Amino acid sequence: MIKRFIGLMLLALTVVCGGCGKDSGAPKLVMATNAAFPPYEYKEHGRIDGIDPAIVGLIAQRLGYELEIRDMEFGAVITAVQTGKADIAASGITITEERKKQVLFTNSYVSAAQMILVRKDSGITGEADFPGKSIGVQEGTTGDTYVNKHFKDKVRINRYKDPSSAVQALITNKIDLVVIDAEPAQVFVSKNPEIRQLPKPLTHEEYAFAINKNNPELLGKFNAELMKMKTSGELDDIIEHYRKINDERAGEPDFARGFWTRLEDSLYVNFVKDGRYKYLLNGFIVTLEITVLAVLMGIVIGLAVAVVRCTADQTGHLKWLDWLCRVYLTVIRGTPVVVQLLIIYFVIFSSINISQVLVAVIAFGINSGAYVAEIIRGGIMSVDRGQMEAGQSLGLTYTQTMRFVVLPQAFKNVLPALGNEFIVLLKETSVAGYIALQDLTKAGDIIRSQTYDAFLPLIAVALIYLTVVMCLSWLLGRLEKRLKKNE
Amino acid sequence: MSEAVFEVRNLVKQFDGHAAVNNVSTQIERGEVVFVVGPSGSGKSTFLRCLNLLETPTSGSIVFKHQNVTAHEISLNKFRQQVGMVFQHFNLFNNLTVHDNITLAPVITRRMSKAEASQKADNLLMRIGLYDKRDAYPSQLSGGQKQRIAIIRAMAMNPDVILFDEPTSALDPEMVGEVLALMKELAESGMTMVVVTHEIGFASEVADRVLFMDHGKIIMDGTPEEVIKNPANVRVKEFFSKVL
Repeated sequence: MIKRFIGLMLLALTVVCGGCGKDSGAPKLVMATNAAFPPYEYKEHGRIDGIDPAIVGLIAQRLGYELEIRDMEFGAVITAVQTGKADIAASGITITEERKKQVLFTNSYVSAAQMILVRKDSGITGEADFPGKSIGVQEGTTGDTYVNKHFKDKVRINRYKDPSSAVQALITNKIDLVVIDAEPAQVFVSKNPEIRQLPKPLTHEEYAFAINKNNPELLGKFNAELMKMKTSGELDDIIEHYRKINDERAGEPDFARGFWTRLEDSLYVNFVKDGRYKYLLNGFIVTLEITVLAVLMGIVIGLAVAVVRCTADQTGHLKWLDWLCRVYLTVIRGTPVVVQLLIIYFVIFSSINISQVLVAVIAFGINSGAYVAEIIRGGIMSVDRGQMEAGQSLGLTYTQTMRFVVLPQAFKNVLPALGNEFIVLLKETSVAGYIALQDLTKAGDIIRSQTYDAFLPLIAVALIYLTVVMCLSWLLGRLEKRLKKNE
Repeated sequence: MSEAVFEVRNLVKQFDGHAAVNNVSTQIERGEVVFVVGPSGSGKSTFLRCLNLLETPTSGSIVFKHQNVTAHEISLNKFRQQVGMVFQHFNLFNNLTVHDNITLAPVITRRMSKAEASQKADNLLMRIGLYDKRDAYPSQLSGGQKQRIAIIRAMAMNPDVILFDEPTSALDPEMVGEVLALMKELAESGMTMVVVTHEIGFASEVADRVLFMDHGKIIMDGTPEEVIKNPANVRVKEFFSKVL
């Protein structure tokens, strides 16, 4: 049994690893997950591991697929399968009637329960005490659905993006209780002496993988392989293996020591252990990449729109384009950037396999372009009319005068406003996590989901943003000074 | 035998129904220095701005070197390259050095190579004694210096005619002299000039011909002697008695 198990783990490991990189000739199987739900899925040493990746990886290999894992918000995994962004969703998903309407479910591979977490001193003893309370859940989970279905209007539901935020809210007195899956519940209780778990589970539920409704063939193959794994005992081995790892992780911190030792430990666990600082580093690079490219795109769009609008204003030409630009400005400035990002990813590029970085660059670029356009337009209007007249009186065309005389001056006038727009953009990219991009903010979330510590990862993320913004402000100040000289 | 640079026929320019220039006809000969004078709001500046089509005439025609420039087929930019203009507020390009202000148009419009334009700019700057300001920006110059640069910027294009729109009105009194001196020098060199100004004394000294405008019409047209010194028209006489 042990031998068989080790062989199995090695196999699973190579499969999971294979998913993160090299291209073999095999067809791809894309798995959507929310890697913040140990022991089912979590990030460690920069890759996604856990019960779900191990099972799906093994089956994928046996069916001759190359596995690719995409990490995203839990609320997005079902949508990803529905829209064809992923072939299978494996994220500790409970079978529910609502979800059955949207996707096909494989046979259940594990039974789970929703538990109730409360503070040590709480008087809550069970479901009967729910009315009037504030309840924390992870958005889109069965706990969310259950509470919403049975206690709507009787309780206040606080939906969090990940379970550790919900637990943090409980510890800091923001909510009265948390409804959460049994296994992470155990981990949280062992790490946080301030909370306890009620003995009686709230619900029983079955976990299964979700597959697109148009793909019953894959469903059949998966069920057959699952059945084989059940009978051979492989399935139980995998689940047992990860539960054990989970229990070990739960034993890590020690709360009895002093503040400084705890801080030191915290720093170590959050940033050093398992190379977790790398999440921040890589996230930082992604954030910079998106911001820089989106800024460039925003300038190009903004400049074009501003010139079209000013030309239409001053010469009466380009009426049609001007109308188009107005529509663009109204729509983009009238809707939140998160919504634009999600629409571009899930609606506009729904059937195309496109890099998320590209989607983010396009979304933020288009968004920023609208604001840059109005800034530059203001700049052009602020340049004295005489400059244009002087250019034209010398026989330069409108375009030539614009390019060599008016725009350079407009640019200088609006530099502070433009700089401010880029600083805003840098921070706006923090919503990139919505389309499963691991930017700086998401990196902090990943660390939080592993260490169950909200404080240090968030502070670190905030400090990095702050540092970048301060550097940007300083650079802009210098640029402004240099341009001032040329007057 | 003289040749007409501009032939203006029945020129009308209306703003919101009001005629700023009302049925003006005249002719500017090559080498002629024509001053346009008259009370404020008489349409002098609008008339001048119509000549290089900075204002589009409502009706009438302007013929420049035998070509009707108010017809639609002509290249506006090619035409303007041959007509220099000096503005009341100088309108130097604030983002460019003095040297680049002068060379920008000749180079972009391909009238000269970069080296030629640069040589020409340096020569002109030396001629007016501002070569040391070659690399300065407009904000570092006095009003008089700005206007003299603006004049040689127009000259650098080798135009057939230069239009002056109240070139000294925005200057401090002590700066007026240097600008007028340069204009006089230019007039003596044979440049065709049309000047809108309130400097009546200067007009009578330099002008070949003076046009007196009132309410959008030319009401007198003659030598400085005829128009300024001994005007036959009562309104003209009254005006000069106030300003002289």
